[in-house]
Amino acid sequence: MSYIDRDEIGKRIVWAICVIVMIIGIIAPIYLLIKYSISDPSTMNTGGRPIPLWPNRPTFDIFLYLFRDREFWGVVSNSAIIATLTVLLTSLLSIPAGYVLARYNFPLKRFFLILLISVRLFPDISSVIPIATFFVRANLHSSFISVVLAHTLLSLPYVIFMATTAFEFVPKDIEEQARVIGANRVTIFTRILVPMVFPSLIAGAIYTFLLSWDEFIFAHFLLDTGGQIQTLTLYLNKNLSFSPPQNVLAAISVCLSVPVMVFTFVVQRYMVSGVVSGAVK
Amino acid sequence: MGEIWPLFPAAIFLSFFFLLVLIELFTISLTKTNVFPTLEPAVEILKNGEFHNALLNTLAFVAIGTPLELFAGLFAALLVYNSYWGKSFVRTIFVIPFAFPGLVIATLLFILFDSQGGFANHLFQGQYWLFPKIIDHDVAWRGSKYLALSVSMLGKVWRDMPISMLIILSGLNSIEPELIDAAKTMGAGFRVRLQRIILPLIFPAMTTVLLLRSVEMWKEFIFPYILAGNYPLLGTLIEKLYGFGSDPGEAAVVALVLVGLTILTLVVIVEITGRIKRVLVNSGVNSK
Repeated sequence: MSYIDRDEIGKRIVWAICVIVMIIGIIAPIYLLIKYSISDPSTMNTGGRPIPLWPNRPTFDIFLYLFRDREFWGVVSNSAIIATLTVLLTSLLSIPAGYVLARYNFPLKRFFLILLISVRLFPDISSVIPIATFFVRANLHSSFISVVLAHTLLSLPYVIFMATTAFEFVPKDIEEQARVIGANRVTIFTRILVPMVFPSLIAGAIYTFLLSWDEFIFAHFLLDTGGQIQTLTLYLNKNLSFSPPQNVLAAISVCLSVPVMVFTFVVQRYMVSGVVSGAVK
Repeated sequence: MGEIWPLFPAAIFLSFFFLLVLIELFTISLTKTNVFPTLEPAVEILKNGEFHNALLNTLAFVAIGTPLELFAGLFAALLVYNSYWGKSFVRTIFVIPFAFPGLVIATLLFILFDSQGGFANHLFQGQYWLFPKIIDHDVAWRGSKYLALSVSMLGKVWRDMPISMLIILSGLNSIEPELIDAAKTMGAGFRVRLQRIILPLIFPAMTTVLLLRSVEMWKEFIFPYILAGNYPLLGTLIEKLYGFGSDPGEAAVVALVLVGLTILTLVVIVEITGRIKRVLVNSGVNSK
């Protein structure tokens, strides 16, 4: 075996060791989360002996308990309602805005783009104080609408950028051709442009849903102080303060993560580049 | 003007909240028990020892956590970039942490680093195969400032590493392969290629990571809130003052300090990286 071959093999071994260590570092905590969620009490309370790496008697009892609990379904439906309303409001505002930014040059365009960035410059924990104070004054504190508006504020800048980029990829010729054959602006927008950028809009919608689904800071400040409405993140935080068995915390965490994992996979499917390439014949 | 009216709803929405945040934050910070304007909240907070502690804790969190995220992202990106097999598989695995909500990861660390019978205590006591013994007895991870904040930082770096990795990876992918091939042909080893070609060319990507991650470190809330409740950062102090302290004025002052420090950090990083870039360019010119 030549010196170069040995050198190359050595590099491959070092690379493989580093990758394996990284993969273990990434997968192990996730595995432990799932393991804890299906652990029976004997697996968690070991009296000083090492906690087994696999549950002694794997059980879905905690999940069954959660799924039978009316409060749990209440917080899940609250999270789902808030996230869905946030998606609707964000889409309603961002899609027309993205179209205008992609198609037209106007005097205040630069100002609007700076506004988009400026809104997100404030840390959430800083901007939540004035927003919470405003909603208290407006008698909207502890309401769905306050959280939906706050979550829309968080997602809107990103989704406008996503929509703008998507509309920029649609050739202007398509609109011209539709106009020539008599389509009006609304028809062109709803029947031609929106379907063409649909994958990006879906990606934006999913991004918004996930942002709202696992958002904590605004929900905590706007709903947590004596309000009746709770989201899944607030429910998890409330359980943390009660110090319940670890498998309960892990099971709630898994429930919170599953939609995120599923939707992340779906977004990857929709993120197909060049979706409208070759549209103009 | 008639053509851009679809932009107006979003523009009105964003302008309203931007002005609301800006004006209200200053107004609240200058208000104390319905007296406006007054500098009392600012004076009170400057005298508050908890604020000094939170400021120092946050400074340490940013100063250590930002480079840590950069190096973790750089390491992961180099492993993906130099993949010998399964490049997309390795990249997908490395992106997984970002698919988990921060609150879930913080909760997981809350479980693992439990002071009594937590998995971390068993692991570091050498009770598992291959892992060396580091501690003799159970450690109260959330009962010590340094340990609690270290565990918070560990969670933050673990969860956000994929963002740094993807930014640096995009920088690496933009390097012309011919440049690397030419260096290899001339006998440059990996270290020389890394120092002389790769790092200078991905410098803009690394600057972006430093800018974005330092902002994220300043505004971090969830990990220290769950794992280091007794040792506040500026973010968690805001929550404490606004909630339990019921002092919105002081909370708003801390919020403004946080905004100011975030902007100051961005300016300093841009200045320092600009100087480093000029030195790199000049050294390249001089070496010719």
